Amino acid sequence: MANISELLNGWGFGKQTAIGTANLVATIWRHTNLNTKPWAKVPVNEDDRAEIGKGHEFPTQLFKSHYNMPAYELSKYASSEFLAWAMSFSMGNVVVSGSGPYVYTIVPALGATNPTGLELPYFSFVQQIRPGGSAVLDEMLVGCAVKGWKLSIKNSPGRASAMCAVECVTTGQYTSPSGITLPAISTPHEFNAGMISALTFNGINYLTGGSAKQFVSMEASWENNFRPGFFPGSGAQDGYQIQGRFEWGDRAFAVQFVVRVQAGSTEYANLINLTTGTATFTMTRDANNSFTMLIQKMGFNVAELGNTDGIVTLQITGVQLYDPTNGMVTMTVTTPLQGICQ
Amino acid sequence: MNSIFMRSPEGEVKEVEATTAALTPLMVSGWTQVPPPAAGQKPAPPAKEEE
Repeated sequence: MANISELLNGWGFGKQTAIGTANLVATIWRHTNLNTKPWAKVPVNEDDRAEIGKGHEFPTQLFKSHYNMPAYELSKYASSEFLAWAMSFSMGNVVVSGSGPYVYTIVPALGATNPTGLELPYFSFVQQIRPGGSAVLDEMLVGCAVKGWKLSIKNSPGRASAMCAVECVTTGQYTSPSGITLPAISTPHEFNAGMISALTFNGINYLTGGSAKQFVSMEASWENNFRPGFFPGSGAQDGYQIQGRFEWGDRAFAVQFVVRVQAGSTEYANLINLTTGTATFTMTRDANNSFTMLIQKMGFNVAELGNTDGIVTLQITGVQLYDPTNGMVTMTVTTPLQGICQ
Repeated sequence: MNSIFMRSPEGEVKEVEATTAALTPLMVSGWTQVPPPAAGQKPAPPAKEEE
């Protein structure tokens, strides 16, 4: 028996060299996770009930089929380290500069120029409960990828005002015991909504000037819509077929935000006039820790009047347009940690 | 100036100022980061933004 609070999570901040090659321990970090469930392994069996010739319709035999691994959520307070990791592994095109702190510039990879085609970087995920001779759980899932993320900024105090949840998938390949001694737990440099230092969407500055104090909340999300990775030669684990690749499908980048309505609010005008402009969202903790999401061309798709805690508000659904020169979005993250997605 | 080296899909290597404005269009058009060239090899001068 073990309490779930004993569950230790570690995963690769560096990328694997190939989908089936696990991270070395030097490129694995250990973090807390607000998701209180372990990542389940789900082997699926099949039977012969559909086959005729047995003299009856009932199944008589079991067969190993495949590992149907569920998606797993890493839910954390937004920090420079975690955002750099989430953005890098979800978008794939990463450039690093600096010598400490390190600046990660990240854009969505394009299939035409991505060295791995439609595949993103892979990482390994370690989960352990009382690792050692009598471990309750000790395994390393190999070939994990970031399916998507959600960044939530709320009008509330504390770390919960800036959250990032990352949804991950994995092939089904694993090693148990993991053979990994997890490092000491990381202390990420976390943000909160009070650290927002730039907040301009489509020409409206919600941080200073006439529209200051209007902003209530924001949700931005990315979804890679991976295609199933079973194919001839995709591999096997324990006699069960595993997935051998995660290729992105039609990716989706969504941004919604809520603002208070005031006299002269220009959101409706921007929507009706099909106005587009950049959107800049920045959180700055200090000189070594910051995050900027620069949307190159944002328009407004929907502006819905409502109320939030008794205040009249507009919920804006942005539409992020692809600019032929600058693409759709650029994430810039400054963090003290070297080697993320390298 | 903080700079890095980038290589174009055609193989051209140049030193680029490590700013979001300078890096984004290159990354979008398929340039990738490469290590600095070996000593003795002279890369193209840093790219400058248009006025």
